[in-house]
Amino acid sequence: MLRYTWKRILTGIISLFVLVTVTFFLVRIIPGSPFQRGGVSGQVVEAIEQEYGLDEPLLAQYIHYIRNILGGDLGISYQDPAANVADVIARAWPVTASVGITALAVSIIAGTAAGILRSVSRRRPVREFISAAGMMSAGIPSFAAAVLLLLVFSVKLKWLPASGLLTPAHYILPVTALSLYPAAMVSRLVGNTLDAELKKDYVVFARAKGLGEKRIIFTHALKNAYLPVLNYIGPASASLLTGSFVIESIFTIPGLGREFVGSITNRDYTLILGLTVFMGAVVILVNLVTDLLCAWLDPRTRRAYRGEGA
Amino acid sequence: MMDKIKQKIRHQWKDRTGGSRMALIGCIILGIWILLSVAVPLFSPWPFSGQDAGMRNQGPSLLHWFGTDRFGRDLFTRVWYGAGISLTVGMASAVMNSLIGVFYGAVSGYAGRRADMVFMRIADIISAIPSMLYVILLTLVMGAGIGSIILGLCIAGWISMARIVRGEIIKLKETEYAYAARMEGIRPLRILLKHLLPNTAGTIAVNTIFLVPQAIFTEAFLSFLGVGIAAPAASLGTIIQEARSQMILYPYQMICPLIVLCVMLLALNMVGTAVEIRVGGRKGSRAV
Amino acid sequence: MSVLEVNNLSVSYPAESGASEIVKNISIKVESGEIVGLVGESGSGKSTAMLAVMGLAGDGAYVQYDKITVGGKAPVPGKNVAMIFQDSLSCLNPSVKIGRQIRETVRARRRCSRKEAVARSEELLDLVGIRNPSLRMRQYPFELSGGMRQRVVLAIALACEPELIIADEPTTALDALVQAQILLLLRRIVRETKTSLILVSHDMSVTASMCSRLYVMHGGRIEESGTAEEIFYSPVREYTKQLLKDAKGGNFHRKRRTGRADCRELPGEDVLLKMETMTKVFSEGEGIRGFSLEIRRKEILALVGESGSGKTTAARILTGMLKEDEGTLYYHGHAMDRRRRMASLAGRVQMVFQDPYASLNPCLTVRETLTEALAAVQRNREMQDTLPEKIDKMLELTGISQDEADRYPRELSGGQRQRIGIARALIVEPELIVCDEALSSLDATTREQILELIFRLQRKIGFACLFISHDMHIVRRISDRIGVMYGGRIVETGPTEQICSDPWHPYTKQLIEAVPEPDPVRAARIKAVPAKDGTGVCTTGCPLAGRCGYALECCGREVPGRYSFDRREISCFLYSGKHGGRRSSDYRMTSQI
Repeated sequence: MLRYTWKRILTGIISLFVLVTVTFFLVRIIPGSPFQRGGVSGQVVEAIEQEYGLDEPLLAQYIHYIRNILGGDLGISYQDPAANVADVIARAWPVTASVGITALAVSIIAGTAAGILRSVSRRRPVREFISAAGMMSAGIPSFAAAVLLLLVFSVKLKWLPASGLLTPAHYILPVTALSLYPAAMVSRLVGNTLDAELKKDYVVFARAKGLGEKRIIFTHALKNAYLPVLNYIGPASASLLTGSFVIESIFTIPGLGREFVGSITNRDYTLILGLTVFMGAVVILVNLVTDLLCAWLDPRTRRAYRGEGA
Repeated sequence: MMDKIKQKIRHQWKDRTGGSRMALIGCIILGIWILLSVAVPLFSPWPFSGQDAGMRNQGPSLLHWFGTDRFGRDLFTRVWYGAGISLTVGMASAVMNSLIGVFYGAVSGYAGRRADMVFMRIADIISAIPSMLYVILLTLVMGAGIGSIILGLCIAGWISMARIVRGEIIKLKETEYAYAARMEGIRPLRILLKHLLPNTAGTIAVNTIFLVPQAIFTEAFLSFLGVGIAAPAASLGTIIQEARSQMILYPYQMICPLIVLCVMLLALNMVGTAVEIRVGGRKGSRAV
Repeated sequence: MSVLEVNNLSVSYPAESGASEIVKNISIKVESGEIVGLVGESGSGKSTAMLAVMGLAGDGAYVQYDKITVGGKAPVPGKNVAMIFQDSLSCLNPSVKIGRQIRETVRARRRCSRKEAVARSEELLDLVGIRNPSLRMRQYPFELSGGMRQRVVLAIALACEPELIIADEPTTALDALVQAQILLLLRRIVRETKTSLILVSHDMSVTASMCSRLYVMHGGRIEESGTAEEIFYSPVREYTKQLLKDAKGGNFHRKRRTGRADCRELPGEDVLLKMETMTKVFSEGEGIRGFSLEIRRKEILALVGESGSGKTTAARILTGMLKEDEGTLYYHGHAMDRRRRMASLAGRVQMVFQDPYASLNPCLTVRETLTEALAAVQRNREMQDTLPEKIDKMLELTGISQDEADRYPRELSGGQRQRIGIARALIVEPELIVCDEALSSLDATTREQILELIFRLQRKIGFACLFISHDMHIVRRISDRIGVMYGGRIVETGPTEQICSDPWHPYTKQLIEAVPEPDPVRAARIKAVPAKDGTGVCTTGCPLAGRCGYALECCGREVPGRYSFDRREISCFLYSGKHGGRRSSDYRMTSQI
């Protein structure tokens, strides 16, 4: 297990490094200067560029940047010299994460419940309703759902606030919009795996040995269903944690996604880079944790590693 | 003769979709949508981009079925024109992504070991960068248009397909018939093309179908953020984006394209799900 | 009063094309403390009938009966009736520890504290012959051997404290030795706990060794019933006679003998392929160690041994599918480069696989499969035109009709597919065919046909054949020589008649004694060495050292060498000059055990 963990961490670090490099050069390809704007003379632009080290050769800039990153310095925003990129992230991420984690919890709970119900309900209408609802929520894009929710619940009915994140009520709409798709996926996965598991021999045997259906579902079948779910939840939680560009801009939530959209429209090199690196790191980290968790939860691999260690 | 063809079509239909109601409804909706998005812009009395200051922000009426937008453009024409663009973008990029993904995944899975590891890490990195960045870069380099958005969707869109195909190939590589083929001395490329890939056809088909709504969704979402297709061309995403500033005053301007988009995506998902169930079922019957 | 009474049970599955009746009006009676056999080929409805008795036939099934009672009451699974199944691995939840799977059964049956349930579980595991139960209870199913798992399943069934246990093919997935152990265990359990047992099996020999009464099932009906003696010695129905004939090897045995007489010199003495000190060890400790084997031209060499003994590993190394860690492979006396072995042996060594469902490409028709195989070998020659001709000839040889040749594998039966597998292997005219358990997934009748086909073709074409099997019945009949494997090593090789009638190696002896015969009197004599808990293969010395009754002191320390006597070769210290005592120069070696 230890060797595997180290190997995964190492490849994670390499991936992150390549990610930084690729993004760095990609961003520099964008034509035009971040300071080019109407009413600013060429000389002024050049002066500012010099101040930020943009006149140096690309390679020198790159080495400089890498060195700074290693020191934990993501640079200063070009648009707002008062803002350190690290500070921007530190301000925006908790906002994004709080929405993301709530959405994650909602989608896991609702999805699992719906999946179980779909698989074991004896009533055909219940099963079909859940299937249909699942397909609807998986098929409707999150921004469409967000806009529709917004129109219905805050514009028409005026039940819920439309923007910001001040009270728990503010969370309801964005979290709903965000968790529709993952919840549908989780419910599909849980339902399908349960369907498959309940056909297996060990379930027949469990019935033959006199266990009740509830016990069979919850302690036996469901236990084998969590691995595929975990495999989905990992990457999905990464995208929830890095913020949804659309949801955040529709509900004007001051999170990472909104910062990213803003940084791109403003051509704010350092901010784009910093955010990409940060999001990439989160994605890589979450995937790493998922992989390790999957390996750990599967008794087969766990025992194999333990045997290796002993 | 006609009867024979009819029968053949019916047979094929049953074979591919299991004759499910879901697939039938999905296909009918999709057919209507394609028909409308071709016919409406062609026969409509109003051009999709013709502005008319005299009839701004009108509600739905007999003359303008979906109303007009703030520049006085007929929304019905515009929405169907946009739907056509969305469908084109979706299908074109789905096909391209599917081709790239199948190729990349098959090579990676069949080569195995180091090559596989490197291939998959590259894919990881490409998928870790937000696709928005690629699209913006491309629109800046190539100019905003359908071409650059399709290309932008293709930079990272093939990765899910590549992963799936790779997984399948790795699984199939260990089957006994693959070993038998190798023992007969059949060349690796031929084994891959003739013995392994045809057995993943079902999976590939399902995932290609699912790539279409995904691409449409991504395109709509990028246009919604304002980095997609530029005027005068418009996709459903751009139309929704344009309506956003007046969302509270004139919600129909947003709801009409939204509904057209959602129904389109749902129909695609229905077809995909039906084929998926069918292919899964076929796999099951093969194992028995 | 009978423990089980079933009157007029029918089970059908409604389908689009009308209901299909799987079980038709059967009646069964089981007395207290009795072992009753239910035999029939797969698909005869025996398992479905038993599931219906349990009340577990599933939602899709339509079950009708006049009466089903267990001890006078309705059957309640887990209370008065329990069932064990064929595949112990899939019966146990892979992600739940053994202990919990037994404990929950105990607690579902009787209200008791957790502690009492643990104590009871340990007691049950002890009863089914598992030592160190507290360790086993902390393990997962995959950590146990097949025999051990089947014991756990039995312990769970016993935890239900039933009046009747239904055992559905409980030993089919097990090796001969373990099968004998489990059968003896079942017999003991019935005696000690006064439980009744229904033994469902397709294997006449197994039922012969166990049951006092038998029901023969065919096509959903009870074909014949009676005491074991009646069924085995004076069967009435044609079908029963056929079953018995297949189980005894029918007339094929005689045919083989005569075929042998015609061409006595056929198996050549020149070595076609030789593996020397091959070693390949997997991380789980399985694999082969210091494996040496010769295959001579035109002979059928059988490789026998329990699962996990390395038979398949050896075959895969031979064909190049696996790379060995150490060792050399000689083909026609030339050492083969291990990297390019698969390419250089392509077309000369072919394989027939165990699973005829997985070994054919589902996307190609039979004819396409054969064309692919042939085209690969003949791609550079101007023989492409003769392809269809050759294929037709091969189809005829293997008994596949022209009509079947244009179908896809999924449209054909298991037996037909195995024929195609053989045709595919033979069409490139190889010098060596490896049959890896090629018959073990087939029905008795089909098995006979395929066995005969392989034998006939081998005599006709004259390829060498490495025939891997765990079934001594089959091996005895088809092979010229036998190699016995244990723990990754060959322990004994020699001509088939000699090995079977006079085994020298202690393991070979155990193996042969454990095989039941389709005859109640003889089958009752099956023996099984008691399972030792540390059945783990000894890696420092003779692999058998841990479970051999003749083990010497040196067995655990050194690996015995190979000692040759006439046409036999044996790897056991009992036969070495050093440990076997002094012998005169004209001493003729005989069995030392």
